[in-house]
Order: sequence, then structure tokens, then C-alpha cells
Amino acid sequence: MTVLVAEDDMIMLKTIEVRLKKDGYHVITAQDGKEALKQIELQSPDLIITDIMMPFLSGLEIVGAVKNKGGKDTPIIVLSTMGQENVVLEAFKLGADDFITKPFSPKELSMRVQRYAQKLD
Amino acid sequence: MRDFYLFTVIIYSLLILLFLLFVLILYFAIHREESDLDKIAWQHSVAVVIVGVVASEEVEDGLEAMTYEFEKGLDKAGYRNYMIDELIKAKAAFSGSSTSHLKSLYGRLNLDIDSFRKLHSLKWHIKAKGIRELGAMEQTRYRKEIFWLANDKHELVRNEAQGAMVSFFGWSGLSFLDVIEHQMSQWHQVQLLDKLKYVKPDTFEELIPWLESSNVSVIVFAIKLATLYNCHDVYQNVAKCLQSSNNQVKLCALEYLRLMPQADTFDQMISNYYAESTVYKLAVISSLKDIGSENEITFLVNELNDPNNDIKAAAAGSISVLHPLGNGFFKTYLFATAHPWKEIFFQITNKHIA
Repeated sequence: MTVLVAEDDMIMLKTIEVRLKKDGYHVITAQDGKEALKQIELQSPDLIITDIMMPFLSGLEIVGAVKNKGGKDTPIIVLSTMGQENVVLEAFKLGADDFITKPFSPKELSMRVQRYAQKLD
Repeated sequence: MRDFYLFTVIIYSLLILLFLLFVLILYFAIHREESDLDKIAWQHSVAVVIVGVVASEEVEDGLEAMTYEFEKGLDKAGYRNYMIDELIKAKAAFSGSSTSHLKSLYGRLNLDIDSFRKLHSLKWHIKAKGIRELGAMEQTRYRKEIFWLANDKHELVRNEAQGAMVSFFGWSGLSFLDVIEHQMSQWHQVQLLDKLKYVKPDTFEELIPWLESSNVSVIVFAIKLATLYNCHDVYQNVAKCLQSSNNQVKLCALEYLRLMPQADTFDQMISNYYAESTVYKLAVISSLKDIGSENEITFLVNELNDPNNDIKAAAAGSISVLHPLGNGFFKTYLFATAHPWKEIFFQITNKHIA
């Protein structure tokens, strides 16, 4: 399974990447929204994990773009921070499938991704 | 000739000043660029170690990921400071066992000593940063030093120290309230209350001396704590605060009494009512909407005769809530058709003011 992780914080991005690679997934990373969309078009990932606040294009814009452009079935997990409940609701309206609130445990993320992997299998 | 000489001196002085300014700007630009470049260079080696700890949730994995560049970097104060900043950022972004491993890494690299040294700086912002770092990394063993900084002459240093004590020990971290001489700002009180919202203290005994503190802001904060925790045990102590000479203390006490009324609450509120300020009177009249009964209608009707129109309007608003006739009472009032009662009653009846 190929997972795209879009996150502008390098440590967060690398941590998720290392963790998911350890779990056996193929991971593509992007440090901003534009790069994320480009990777999505090029590699058609099976799952997208995206932060909300990112340079150039926000996570919400990515959700909107993916769900409107033939990627309706690609599950998207949104990474939000505490106090962003309204933004999370907006993400759900746009078609996001799940969200994780920061701070989160890498184990928790791993379990959520595993759930989507099982569905895809 | 003399004028020409003076003119030349002024021109040369200006040129020299401009040159010095240029050199200064250049120096700071280069210095900043170097510092930014340093950070970019450090980013990778620091990230590898932190990611090693968080992703594998083992400190050893992070230590194994230490490169020669990382170990060499640790000799530089700037690198260590950058490492501390990144560790704090990572600790705030992750939860679970990763956070305790990040804390452990901070200790293993002796970064707590760097943070502790900052407490002795003569610059307040460095001192405040040191406290923030020790607080964020939960270094409770420095509690004594941080406790005394809770009464520092600089407000932001005090705020950091008080915040750190509450983060460390919750309710018992508030022991600095026994000793602080400086006032706590309203905003800082809000921040401390926010940190305490999920803390469940075993006893509220400490509130009693705080409610009698010589520091007005400590009394105000103690009343807010009593309100936050719905603490009925200190009802009489809070009621005594209505006798304070400070308006803020009295208003806070009124709010507590409004939320936690007892049989004598109204009597406590009006014990010195006629000597009080308009703000106090308005707060009492308004709180009667929540805690009043038909027994207080006589008092409110009396207040309709107060020379202050704001008090008249507030009293009319409370009467409309408490009177069995509601707004119908206004028709029975002797001066209902006279100015200003006519206008006030009209506005309340039409719900323009309450």
C-alpha cells in the first residue's frame, strides 16, 4: 500500500514516514500542499495523510481537490491541532474520512493506517 | 570661509555616520544569515535523533542514530539550544510513551543543565526561556529555583515560573500564592485557570489564607478558583471579601455568590449596599435575576427611585423577571407614565433591554 504524507514540519513528517515504513508501507512525502497535489497526480496513493496548515495549499484544499478529481475512494486522514474542531468539520464536509488530533501517539496513527490497509485488502 | 569649514565638517560627519550604519546593518545581516544557515545545517542531524526516539519509541534507537556531526554539534551552545527547541516542539506534537522518551533524551544529553543555567541570566527573556524549557520538559527537580522566580521582579519571568509550578504539581503548585508580592495580571490568571481545569484537588484549605492575602490579585484569583471548583466550603470567607476596599475583589466575590447562593446571600450582598459604587449596585441588581425571589421585589421597587437611570433600568429588568406579573407590574407602578420610567419600561417590555 502506498501512503502519501503531507506535513510541513520536518520532524513530524520524518517520524510518520519512518513509522509507516517500519510497518511495511510504501511512503511518499511532501512538505507543502503544491508538492502533495503533484505527488498525488503522479503516484495515485492508496491513502493520504495530510496536515491542515501547510504552505501554498492547505490540507482542506487538498481534500477538496482529491475528492472532486476522481479520487473519491482514496481515504484521507487529516492531522489537526487542538481547538481546530471547526476546521475538522469543514474537512469532513469536503470528504475527509478520518482525523487525528495533535499531540498524537505514533502507535495510534499506525493503528489507524492499519485499519485502512485491511479495508483495501 | 568659516561657514564653508563648518559645512564640510557636517558633511563628513554625516558620511561617517552613514558608513557606520551600513557596516552595522551588514554585520547583523551576515550574522543572521549565518545563524539561519547554521539552523539548516543542524536540522538534519537533530531530526534524525528525534525521529529515532519518537518513531521507534525507544531512547536507545535515537542515541544509536547519533551521527558524528550531531556529537560534534553538541559542543556548540547554539546547536544545543536548537536541539532543546526541537525537543520541546516534538514533545508538544506527540503523545504516549514518545514524550517520556523525549524527556529522557533531554536528560541524557544534559540539556537540562543548559536550561538551568539560563535561570541565572541577567536578561529576563533568557531567564523566562530557561523556565519555559524546564517546565515543558517536566524537570521537577529544579522546582526550588523555579519557585523563587515565581516572585521575580519581571512579570514575564514570574508568569513562566508560576505556570511551570502549576504544570509540575497542579493544585499544590499554587503554593507560590503564599509568597508572591507582585500583582498577577488578569490574562495570567486566565492562563493558570486553564491549566487547572482538569485538576481535582483533595482539599481547599489553602484557599482560606489566599482569600485573606495582602496581595489583592491573590484574593481575586482565590475567588476565581473557588468559583471554578464550585467550592461551597469557603462561602463565608468569600462573603467577607464583600467588605474589601478593592472593587475588583468585591465584584469577583459577587460573581461567586451569584453562582453559589445560600439563604443569606442577598443580605450579604446588600450589607453595605448604599455606600457602594454604581458598578457594585448594578452587579447586585443584575445577580438578583438569578438568585432573587419575590422577597427582593420591595428592594428592587425602591431602586426604581434611585437618581441613577442605569440603576432604575437594571432594577426594572430584574423586576420583570422576578415579579409574578412579569412586565405587567409596570402598569401598576405609580410613575409608569412619567419620564424616565415610561421609556425604560417600554424598552424592557419590547425586550430592547433586559
